[in-house]
Amino acid sequence: MSDAQGAMGDLTAKVAAGEPLSSQDRDLLVATRDLLALGMLADEARRRRHGDRVTFVRVARMPCRPRQGEPSEVPPTAGEIRIDGPIEDVVQAAARIREVLALSDGQPVSAFTLGELDRWSSENGIPLGDILRQLREAGLELVAEAELDRLERSLEACEAVATSGLTIARVTMKDPPPQGVLSLFAELRSLQSALGSLRAFAPLPRTLSALAPSTGYDDVKQVALARLLVDNVPTIQVDWSLYGPKLAQVALSFGADDVDAVSPVNDAGAEGWRRSALEEIRRNVAAASLVPVERNGRFELL
Amino acid sequence: MRDTDSLMSQHLAPIVEKVEAGDRLSADAALCLYRDAPTHQLGQLADLVCRRKHQDGIVTYIVDRNVNYTNVCVAKCNFCAFYRPVGSSEGYVLGFDEIFRKIDETIELGGVQLLLQGGHNPDLPLRWFEDLFRAVKQRYPDFRLHALSPPEVIHLSRLSQLSVPEVIDRLVRAGLDSIPGGGAEILVDRVRTLLHCYGKATSDEWLDVMRHAHRAGLRTTATMMYGTVETLEERLEHLCRLRELQDETGGFTAFITWSFQPAHTERGGSEATGVEYLRTLAIARLVLDNFDNLQASWVTQGGKVGQLSLAFGANDMGSVMIEENVVRAAGAAYCMDEVEIVRNIENAGFIPMRRNMHYEILGGPVFRAREIPRVLELATARAEGDTSVPPELRQYPAKSWVGKAERQRRS
Repeated sequence: MSDAQGAMGDLTAKVAAGEPLSSQDRDLLVATRDLLALGMLADEARRRRHGDRVTFVRVARMPCRPRQGEPSEVPPTAGEIRIDGPIEDVVQAAARIREVLALSDGQPVSAFTLGELDRWSSENGIPLGDILRQLREAGLELVAEAELDRLERSLEACEAVATSGLTIARVTMKDPPPQGVLSLFAELRSLQSALGSLRAFAPLPRTLSALAPSTGYDDVKQVALARLLVDNVPTIQVDWSLYGPKLAQVALSFGADDVDAVSPVNDAGAEGWRRSALEEIRRNVAAASLVPVERNGRFELL
Repeated sequence: MRDTDSLMSQHLAPIVEKVEAGDRLSADAALCLYRDAPTHQLGQLADLVCRRKHQDGIVTYIVDRNVNYTNVCVAKCNFCAFYRPVGSSEGYVLGFDEIFRKIDETIELGGVQLLLQGGHNPDLPLRWFEDLFRAVKQRYPDFRLHALSPPEVIHLSRLSQLSVPEVIDRLVRAGLDSIPGGGAEILVDRVRTLLHCYGKATSDEWLDVMRHAHRAGLRTTATMMYGTVETLEERLEHLCRLRELQDETGGFTAFITWSFQPAHTERGGSEATGVEYLRTLAIARLVLDNFDNLQASWVTQGGKVGQLSLAFGANDMGSVMIEENVVRAAGAAYCMDEVEIVRNIENAGFIPMRRNMHYEILGGPVFRAREIPRVLELATARAEGDTSVPPELRQYPAKSWVGKAERQRRS
C-alpha cells in the first residue's frame, strides 16, 4: 500500500467518526487521483448525515414575462414553482409573483438569481433589501439561486435575503474557472459559518460547454469534494435536467443527497408509465441502493 | 461501520481475497459480489485487475466507422428499433459507391477499418458480400473489414445452404479480417426466446460461429446486451460461457457490454441505469479473467459515464465511430470525436493511444499529427428521404417475393 493510499485510509475513520478535517487532510483530498477512494469517503460523509435517503424535488418553471397565449397552468405535482428572469421591473415582477402564487396550490414560489437582483439593484439605485422585501410581500418565498461566482458581495447579499424573510433555495456556481472552484468552496464554507441558513449547494457548473463539456471524472470529483470540504451545508445537490439521469445517479454514490429540477410533468406518454419522470427518478435512486423521498422547495418531505 | 455493512463485509471478504490473489471467480462467488458489494468496492476490484493487465497506463481507442449496409431484416428481435421488414418503404441497402465514400471519409479522419453490420436481408446473397469485400480490398488494400456478427454469418449460411465454416472461409478469402461480437444479447436460450432472437441464433450457435472463426484464424470481439428480461444469474452465465470459449480458443480480443436501449422498440420499458452499467462492467472485468480488453460503451452511456468506465475496469474507449444508426434508432444520440475521446482519457490520468482491431498500437492521436475536422454529431447511413436503390443490386438474385418483383421491375 502506498503512503497516499494509507493516508486516504486513515481519513475514512475520521470521516466515519464525523471529525473535522485538517487543512492537510483537505489538501490530500484535492490532490488524490484515486477517484473511487474519494467517492467512498464522500459516500460515508453523506450517509452519516442523511442515511440511505435521497430527496428530490419536482420543479415547474414559469417565465417572468409570459408570451401571449403561453399556458399559465402549474402542474399540481410540482414541489417548487420557479419564476425565471430576467427581472426588468420590480412592480411587474411582484405582480407576476402574485399571479403564480395564485396558481401554486400552497407550494413555494421561487424566483430569480441573487446575482441578477443585486445587479438590478445597483443599476437602478434601489437597495437590494428593499427589492427583496417587495418581492417577499408579493408572496415570494425563495430566491431561486445564489450563483456564488456571480456575487460580488456575497455575504451582504445573502444577509439581505435573510433579513427580508426570504430563503435561498440553492447555492450554485454558473461557470467558475476550474482553478477557482476550491476557493469558491472555501468562500461558501465561510459564508455558511456566518449565516447558518444555507440549505443546499449544487457544486456542478450551471453552464455547460458544447465543445468541451466537463468530464465524468471532474463532475463526480467535484461533487465528492463539495460533500467533504463544504461540510457545513447539509445538502449537496445535483441537477437532474441539466446533468441527466446517468451522471446524476452516479453522483449519488459520490456524496450528493438531493436531486433538483425533476420534471413535474407526469403523464406517461407514448413510452409508457415506467418512463415517466417520477418513475425514472425513483428507479434511478433505488438502483443506486438508496431510498427516494420527494420533498418540496421548503425541504418538507411529501 | 454499520452492523449490516459489517456482516456484508464478512460475507464478501473471502471472495475479495480471491480477486486480490488473482484466483478465478466461480459464478456463485461473482453473483455475491455483483449483488452485494458496494459500487466503489466493485470498481476498486475491477480497477485492480485491469491495472494488473495494463501496467503501462495506456487507454486505447480506434478510429473507425459503424456502417450498417442494410436495415431490412427478417429476424424481428423485439429489442431492436433499427430494422425494417422486407418491403418497407423505409428499408434500404447501401450501394458499393456509397460504402466507398464512407471509407474515403473514414480514411480522411485517420480511420483504419469499417465495422460493417446489417439486418438479415433475404435479398442480399453471399456473393454480394464477397463482391463488396473484394471491391473494398482492391481499392483500399490496407483497410480492414471488421464485419458480420455471428447471427449474420448464420443467416448467410442458411441463405446459401453452406455450412458456417464454409461461409467464413469464403468471406475470409474475399477480404473479411475479423468478426464483431454483436447479436450475443444474453447467451441463455430462455432469454433469447423471450427477446425473439432465438431463431436468429441460439446461444450454442452464436458461440459456434465464434469457435469456427477462431479456428479459421480470425480474431473476434464478444458483447453482452443486458437490461431486458434476464436475471443477474443469467448475465453471469453469459459471461462464464464466453470465458469457457476463450479458454478453449483464445480468439476474443475484447468484451463490450451495453444496456438495452428501449425507445421505439417493440419491447419498450426503461433503460438500466448508469450505476448498473458500471457495476456490470466491473463484474465482467472480474469474471472474464482471460480477456485482455474491456471497452467503455460511451455510445449508450454518454461521455461522462463512458469515461467513468475507466475507473470500473475498462481499458479501451471503443471507437470514434463517425457513424452510428442502431443505437440512435433506439433513442441514444451521444457523440465523441477523437479530440473528445483523447481529452477524456487524459483527464482520467491515462495515456491515449490509437489501436487497430487486434489491439496493436498504431500511434498517438491523429489530430495532433495533422489537422482534421471536429465531428460534433455522428453521421447516419443515409440522408433523410434518400430512397435510392443501388444499380448493382439487380445483379444479385433476391429470395423474398417483394425483392424478386422489385428486381424484375428494374432489370
